[in-house]
Formats: sequence, structure tokens, C-alpha cells
Amino acid sequence: MKKILVVTLTVLGMLAVLAAPLFADETMDRIEKTGKLRVGFREDSIPFAFIDPKVGKQVGFSVDMTYELAAKLSERFGKQIELEVFTVTTKTRIPLVANATIDVEMGSTTYTQAREEEVDFSLPFFFSETTFLVPKDSPIKTLKDLNGMRLGGARGTTNLKAMEDQAAKGLYKPKEIQVFEGHAQGFLALQTGKIDAYATDRSLLEGLRMKDAKPENWRTCDFAIAYEPYGYMMRECSSDFRDFLNNTILWSIKTGKFFELYDKWMGPKGPVPIPMSATYKAYLEMIVYPMEDNWWKKK
Amino acid sequence: MRLAYNFDWGVLWRAPYGVWLLQGIWLTIQLGLIAWIIALVLGVTIGTMRISPWPWVRRIGTAYVEVFRNIPFLVQLFFWYFAGPMIFGQAMMFKINAISGLNYYVAIIGLGLYTASRVAEHVRAGFASIARDQFQAALSTGLTEIQMYRFVIIPYALRIIIPPLTTEFLTIFKNSSVAMTIGVAETTFMSYKIDSETFHGLEATTGAMAVYLAIGLGVVKLMGMIESRFRIAGLVGRK
Repeated sequence: MKKILVVTLTVLGMLAVLAAPLFADETMDRIEKTGKLRVGFREDSIPFAFIDPKVGKQVGFSVDMTYELAAKLSERFGKQIELEVFTVTTKTRIPLVANATIDVEMGSTTYTQAREEEVDFSLPFFFSETTFLVPKDSPIKTLKDLNGMRLGGARGTTNLKAMEDQAAKGLYKPKEIQVFEGHAQGFLALQTGKIDAYATDRSLLEGLRMKDAKPENWRTCDFAIAYEPYGYMMRECSSDFRDFLNNTILWSIKTGKFFELYDKWMGPKGPVPIPMSATYKAYLEMIVYPMEDNWWKKK
Repeated sequence: MRLAYNFDWGVLWRAPYGVWLLQGIWLTIQLGLIAWIIALVLGVTIGTMRISPWPWVRRIGTAYVEVFRNIPFLVQLFFWYFAGPMIFGQAMMFKINAISGLNYYVAIIGLGLYTASRVAEHVRAGFASIARDQFQAALSTGLTEIQMYRFVIIPYALRIIIPPLTTEFLTIFKNSSVAMTIGVAETTFMSYKIDSETFHGLEATTGAMAVYLAIGLGVVKLMGMIESRFRIAGLVGRK
């Protein structure tokens, strides 16, 4: 299958070289021709792409980013580029991208080596961080403060494994690592003082915190012990399109639009408040290269 | 496309998995044995209370048995672990929860309390199976009521209930696997852990099965020896 794809694309690429002097890739050409961007959205990935029952269609951070992309594509081609929305699931997202049903999946897909072999990824735009939920006045401020603490995690999660591996390596020496059946139990254990800190994804921890009668009594730590980068997925060998999407992300960071969207979905008043860590913010600022004001124009 | 499953039995002894499994087995044995002592002492006491001549003592015994044997063990364990410390008030709760290895103690006590209710029922059944003329015969030899229980009825009843107690002793090791749900790293916990690390769940689960089977067979052998050691020829017990 992959071989056929590679051969097909190679042949198409050669034809394109012969036919079009512009070296534009197939995806960009098709978007220009049809005026449509075919995009895949999840329905359940809060706050990145999920169905808002009030409007009955997908909304979220990544959905808004797609509007940014469509707006820039419209400027590039000098005509309105419409979105053609496909609903994807964690099972179908990669096949639908690989078989060219959709041009791009805009959601919250973790960038992994195994997936990179099937599809192309944009620059990571978000990091799911493994960190700790602690009482507001907890002495845990840095990684070293975990020494002698009683930590907790949920069975079978990557978060628990990361914690156990690091403790085994001696990065920190917790008094014990307790294993719970689920996040609700882990949080209960934290509330009742069975553990000093509970570890999972920051977004999930923020969700747990909001479930408490007094969310202000808890805080997530500033540091993280593991990261999972999220990226947008598109077909292999659509280099121009990928560049365009990456530039859209970078431009939004440069203009502050990215932070505006982040605040809308993950700010203190958003559906899932996830405080932006200092490391994440630094990453965003550092990946932006100097950009010209009309980078989207065809040179 | 058919996906082949590659068996790798090495996950049962390769480092660090073999050590994990051994640690798990050791914890399972600890849980089972210590809880069994609690269950036996408490169970015999409660069972005897249920046939005592004083109605209030009988009622307490009955209440204990009905509460503990009618609630699923998993629910009891969750209750003791999460809600148990709250019984003693806020300040005390934080002190109790600060105890290191609390889940281990809770598992042992919970398992002991639960099994005690079942042992008590067997003890009561043992007493009930002794014919009334045994009591009368004992009293007519001039023994007091207490002496009658001490020298005739209890030794007799305990011998009768050895086979059902064997089942309870086996069950306590099997039930100890529930302690996994409050994070006690016993055999089943470790087999799950090996599964999540290696994705060789089939081998890990089979390993756990073999461990429980071996412990069970050991218990059966031991109880068989006890039974024949204490048998009264022609009356009770088998060779």
C-alpha cells in the first residue's frame, strides 16, 4: 500500500515537474482549483475540536486555527476558500489523511514516530504535559521537591510509567508511588492526604481541580516530568501545504492570535483552563523565524 | 492480515519482571497468612458468640456476620481505605492517611474482618452439627458449662469444620488479589504491571494463575495434614 503510494506520488511528482513550472504540490493545486479545504475534526477532543451542542458543529482551538488557515489560503489564492468538514475519530484519522479523503486533520494528535511513518505532521503546537496536582500551599515547586513525597498515579497510564522510570533512575526519590484505579480515586486520595501529589496530563488535572468544591485550594505544578507533543496531520509529500500550515501557526504566534485563541479555549475562563507553562510559552516564541508581512503571497 | 502473537515466557523471570513477580508472591502470602490469623481468632469468637446463652451477645454476633458477609469484599475494601479514616474525624483522618503503607494494613485488616464473618458461620454450623445429647452427656459427667465447651464441644466442633475452613483459607489467598484495587502490589498487581510494560499479558496472567494454583495446592496439603493429625479415630476426620 505504502509502496504504491510512494510510486504514485513519485510519478505524479514527475508529471508535475514536467507539466507545471511552479513546483506547487498537489494539495495546494487542488485547493486552488476547487476552492475547498477538506479538513477532519474530532467530535470529542475538548478543547481542541469538539461538538458544541448549542451550535451543533465542531468548535475548539484547532477548529479556530483551521479558520486562520482558510483565511490565509483565501488571501494566497485571491478567492474564498471554503471548509469541507469531515468528522474523524482516533481510529479513522490516520487512514483518512493517508488515503487523501481529507487534506489535513486539525485536532489533538500526538506526534509519534510510528505515526510519522504514515503521515506528515505540522510543527507541534501544544504539549500535553505530565505534571502533578498538589495542595495550594504544598512545598512542591521543582522536581527536586518530589524527594521524600508520596506520589500517586493511575494504573496503565504513560504518566505513571514516566514517574516510575524517573524514580528508578534516581531523578527524584519519592517516599512511595501509589497506584490507583482511576483519576477520581487518585484525587480523593490527594484530598484526604493519602498522597502529597497526583500525576497525570495537565489538562486532566485541571479538569479534576475544577470538580472540587474549592478549586482554588489546588494547583498544578509549573514543571513537567514528560511531554506529548500535538501536531496537525497531512499527507506525506505535500511539502508546500505543510509549509503553509506551519507558517500560519508561526504567524499566529507572531501576531498574538495564537495566544488569543489559547486564552479563548484554555484560558482561565475557557472550557478547560490549562495555564500555559513558561517552557511552552518559550517554545512558541522561539520557533518563530523572521517573517515578512505577506509571506502568504505567491512569489 | 492476521497478527501473530509471539509468546515470550521470559517476561516471567527476566529482570526486572521476575523480581516483581516474586515481590508480588511474597506480598500475597503475607496478606493471606496475617489476614487468616485475624479471621480465625475473630471468626471463632464471633461464631461462639452466636450460640451463647445471652441474647445480646448473640445479636452482636449475628449483626457482625450479616454486615460483613453481605457486602462485596471489593466495596468493603474501598470503604475501609477511602472512608474508613474519615470515621475518626478530620484531624485524625490526616494522621491516619499519613501512615506509610496504609493500603497494605487496610488490605490485611479488611480481608481478616471479611473472612472472619465466613469463618464464624462455619463455626456456628460446627456447633449446630453436634447432637444435643453430647451436651447433656458432658454435663451429666459433672463438667461445668464452660468446661463442657472447653473440653468437649469446641474441640469436637473445630475438627468438624476443618474441611470448610480449608475452603476459606484458600479463598483468603484468592481474595487477596482484590487488594490490587487499592494499590497493594501483590501477585495480580504485578502481573498487570508486567502486562502494561511488556504487552505480554497472556504470559503474565498465566504466571499469576500458576502462582495462585501452587499456593492453593499448598494450603490443601497443609490442611489435609492438620486434619489427619487431629482426627479422632472412628469419630471425626479422615486419615
